[in-house]
Amino acid sequence: MPDPHPESFAHSPHARHAARAVTYVRTMIAFALVWAGLAAWTHNPVLLPSPLAVLQAIVDLAGDLELFQHAAISLGRMVLALVIASGLAVPLGLLMGLHLTLDEIVDPVIEVLRPISGIAWIPLALFIFGVGNVLPLFIMTYAAFFPILLGTIAAVRSIDRNFIAAARTMGVDRGTIITRVVLPAALPAIMVAVRLGVAAAWTAVVAAELIGAPSGVGYAVEWYRELLMTPQVMAFIATIGVLGYLCDRAVRVVAERLTPWAAETMARA
Amino acid sequence: MGGGNDGARMTASAPRLSRTLALPLFLLAIWQAWGLATGSSRTPVPTKVARAAIDLIASGDLPIALLVSLGRVFAGFAIASLVAIPLGLAMGAFRSVERNVDPLVESFRPIAAIAVLPLAILWLGTGTPAAVAIVAYAAFFPIVINTVAGVKRVPATLVRAAATMGLSRWAIVRTVLVPGALPSIAVGMRIGLGIAWTAIVAAELAVGAKAGGGGTGGVGQMMFVFYAYSIELNRIVVCMIAVGVIALLLDRALRWVVRALTPWAPR
Repeated sequence: MPDPHPESFAHSPHARHAARAVTYVRTMIAFALVWAGLAAWTHNPVLLPSPLAVLQAIVDLAGDLELFQHAAISLGRMVLALVIASGLAVPLGLLMGLHLTLDEIVDPVIEVLRPISGIAWIPLALFIFGVGNVLPLFIMTYAAFFPILLGTIAAVRSIDRNFIAAARTMGVDRGTIITRVVLPAALPAIMVAVRLGVAAAWTAVVAAELIGAPSGVGYAVEWYRELLMTPQVMAFIATIGVLGYLCDRAVRVVAERLTPWAAETMARA
Repeated sequence: MGGGNDGARMTASAPRLSRTLALPLFLLAIWQAWGLATGSSRTPVPTKVARAAIDLIASGDLPIALLVSLGRVFAGFAIASLVAIPLGLAMGAFRSVERNVDPLVESFRPIAAIAVLPLAILWLGTGTPAAVAIVAYAAFFPIVINTVAGVKRVPATLVRAAATMGLSRWAIVRTVLVPGALPSIAVGMRIGLGIAWTAIVAAELAVGAKAGGGGTGGVGQMMFVFYAYSIELNRIVVCMIAVGVIALLLDRALRWVVRALTPWAPR
């Protein structure tokens, strides 16, 4: 529904940003006040610590660098898993999008595996890899693989066929068509798929670390829960949220740099 | 892509069918050969998995575990829908509501449901309520976001026309915005249900891992017991397949319901 009372100062982008920031801060202050009220009412710092206690925990954990260590470990796994998943899924997706026969052969396997969530692999992967670095890496790569693959196939399919036909008419060879025509045309949509892959992988890393890794933010959450140190639990939950948001932002920035011709599609996605 | 070629798929020609089956059968054969060659009696191979599947289904263990998990998913999903759809409608229809609530939604959205699980265990124990809460949290965000987007996508001309004809704000919401947003809401619910199913498996796994055996059922819990206590990899694979099959069935079922309920939606 169109706004019947558009704010008069909301015309310049700067003013709009400022207004949005004000509303954001206002809402979060209201949230913190309700939370503080509930905390005072329950009066049980293990069940519900006050926002100030959580803030204190964040400052302490950041102060002795523990927060950053776990964050760096999880982010490192995330980047590595994303590189592996993209390295497998994008070329495969390009080929499957271009060759119908290949798609018909490989697609059944994809469709059988895809509904089995990465998280459902955790028990079997625990047995194969044990508790350690490989388990979260495997789960994340698996989780990110399918959105990237499906997105790449769809991206290739939605390319204007005339581009390829034109290139072929001009005698461009197959490899060059893929690198100079198909890839640039599909890249914006592929980057959207990578964003979905990042979101899937980030969810999976928390689950994988919670159950089967000796480090990382997911592990830290569970570690402090067992110690009943709730402020620290909430501090790491907040960290997970912030990192998830930053990862999404980072992919978006990379996508904008990489495909400046597709700013519009990314903004809408 | 996929979509409405089910009819074509049923009458698929013989060469197409052979192409469809070739790679899966080939991989199954490799798996079987590899499993037999490496020799360990625990290594899962397709034949043993099939036998384990028959055992688990015949004894009723797997169906009961799946029903427990599904019950939790539907309970959590219902809670999420009841909160998210009205909230999304209000956010989509009234700018002031959206401006003030959106920061909260956007702040919590990047926090994966599984990350909240330790808190849920702390507050609600290791039983069904914690699992239901995780499912509700996980399903909430896709539903609310798609509801807001659906309401915003309703053409402003329709809203103005209704207002011109003297409809009250409430009547416009009920007769214009809700039907207009319904296809998008349905998409959000389908995504939410898929995420909810993933979340319940994760929640039950984590509860099983952290609550030490004394669990409350569900397919995730069952998998963890097979991993940690009886070490039956064949049965773990059976559970994984069951998780996949249920995910697929839920998606197909909701797709069908959506198509039946919103025949006017573009696809």
